[in-house]
Amino acid sequence: MTRHTRIIMSMIYWAFIIYLFVPLSVMVLMGFKDSKFIGFPIKGYTLEWYRIVFQDMEVLSIFGYSLAIALASTFLALVIGTWAAILLSQKKFFGKMVVFALICLPAVIPGIISAIALRIFSQTINLNPGMLAIILGHTVHSVPFVVLVGMARLSSQPMSHVEAAQDLGADTVITFFRVTLPYMVPALIGAGIFCMLTSFDDFVRSFFLGGYEPTLPVYIFAQLRTGMSPEINAISAVVLLITAVLGLTAERLMRRM
Amino acid sequence: MTDNNMHGADDGRKGFWSWLSVNPGYRAISGVLLKTERRRFWLLAALPILWALVGNLGPIIKMFDISFYEAYPLTAGREVGYTLEHWRAFFTTHVFYVPFFRTIMFSMMLTASTLILTYPVAYFLARHVRKNRQMLFLLIVLIPFWVGEIVRTYAIMILLGNKGLINMLLQYVGFIERPIPFMYTSFSLGVGIVYLTSLYMLLPLYSALEKIPHSMSEAAADLGAGPWARFRRVTLPLSKAGIASGCTLVFLISTGFYATPVMLGGPSSTLFSETIAGTFAVAADRWPQGAMFSSIMLITTLTIAAIFLKIMGRGGKGVL
Repeated sequence: MTRHTRIIMSMIYWAFIIYLFVPLSVMVLMGFKDSKFIGFPIKGYTLEWYRIVFQDMEVLSIFGYSLAIALASTFLALVIGTWAAILLSQKKFFGKMVVFALICLPAVIPGIISAIALRIFSQTINLNPGMLAIILGHTVHSVPFVVLVGMARLSSQPMSHVEAAQDLGADTVITFFRVTLPYMVPALIGAGIFCMLTSFDDFVRSFFLGGYEPTLPVYIFAQLRTGMSPEINAISAVVLLITAVLGLTAERLMRRM
Repeated sequence: MTDNNMHGADDGRKGFWSWLSVNPGYRAISGVLLKTERRRFWLLAALPILWALVGNLGPIIKMFDISFYEAYPLTAGREVGYTLEHWRAFFTTHVFYVPFFRTIMFSMMLTASTLILTYPVAYFLARHVRKNRQMLFLLIVLIPFWVGEIVRTYAIMILLGNKGLINMLLQYVGFIERPIPFMYTSFSLGVGIVYLTSLYMLLPLYSALEKIPHSMSEAAADLGAGPWARFRRVTLPLSKAGIASGCTLVFLISTGFYATPVMLGGPSSTLFSETIAGTFAVAADRWPQGAMFSSIMLITTLTIAAIFLKIMGRGGKGVL
């Protein structure tokens, strides 16, 4: 490679990093601006918007609602996903590829279509828009991720573990709880955190499956329809912080295994 | 880690499991359920298969079904009537098919732009950055991508606004006098969607490029290939798998955004997801039509992705 192309490529590389971080940094910065108006120039700084947000009962209850949905859908996705990962890690059985494709199907369906299909589906099974419908939607979306991570983890499990347990008289169920599940735990914690993040930050499913009570992204979306405000920046900055901390933790857990 | 898990179980749990394994009730149940290989298999397979059929396939099939209904949700006492009217209306109504084809074209263009933008980044990262720095870079770029669609779209709104950073900088250096109205155009929408999807391109490209041994390029250079020939005949074909999966992911994901076109797009850049959402609005209530729109969108995007993967797959084999 010539010197010139190398210099140009390193410029593109840095430009990309700037492109990723500048918008979010400006957004966080605007949350500290001492004025109701979002935009430059910035004359002074304040923590007022954060104070308002943390005292706003509505925002706090929406936050709790989103968190409850995230926890519930993550729990369900972990149970179903682990179960499916173990099934798909078995030696060949008839239709294995079909089952794998079906279980991973939600991963390739565009968001809006998945949301609409689930909205129609929940109507046909008489599940009203609201918390349960959103939990169902987020679980459907999260399961393929748990399955893929779980299968990757299981592929590195030595067969001797399971065989040893069975030689010692453990049946399939006890072998699972005593040997296989503990082996999968680090991967499952990492996958679980990512499921929580995708659920907490999901908009399109929560929007179409939700009732009158909004989740946090839906609330931000609704607020933005009436105009930008520094409170939204403060909320977004908090979301950004929590997301970054959780994401980095999950990444560390999954790297270490 | 493994060893810890194998031996580190606390005594309380050990007690429970050994109690359970000799418990007569449990022995009776497990004796029946786990008796044969076939029973053990179905005990394991029943729930995931049921979930895949009901949770994953069910909604899609129901969506196709509803798209042929005359009306839905059904009012009390009304029978289901089937019709092809919604499908006919799609192909004959301007305001329906224009956003549809616009979305397909727009997503294809965005996929190509994302590829062109991120390929040099992935290449530079895989080839010219030290190994330990590569991991750090990947960790850092992941952070913006964990943040959801809404927050990142909002960040782009602030960036491109009339009083945003870009306009302020351009005015500051005297490039322009009045702010350029970037917002609510195809441009702002494109910037937003690329911002949301570029990681799905970057990661597959990086993992494909990282696997190519340096000796390949060196061998080509020894045989007299120039930089361009080395790239075109060695690196590019070897990174084909990454290009294929990156483009497929970005294409499928970018067609599925709803909030981003609403927040960043304008009247002349209405995307199909907005048209679909419109049929589910409280006032409109044209569900069968929305189901039909979603169905046609799903068929089209998956078909395009399949054709693209087929072409790339075959091409890759031909080159190798």
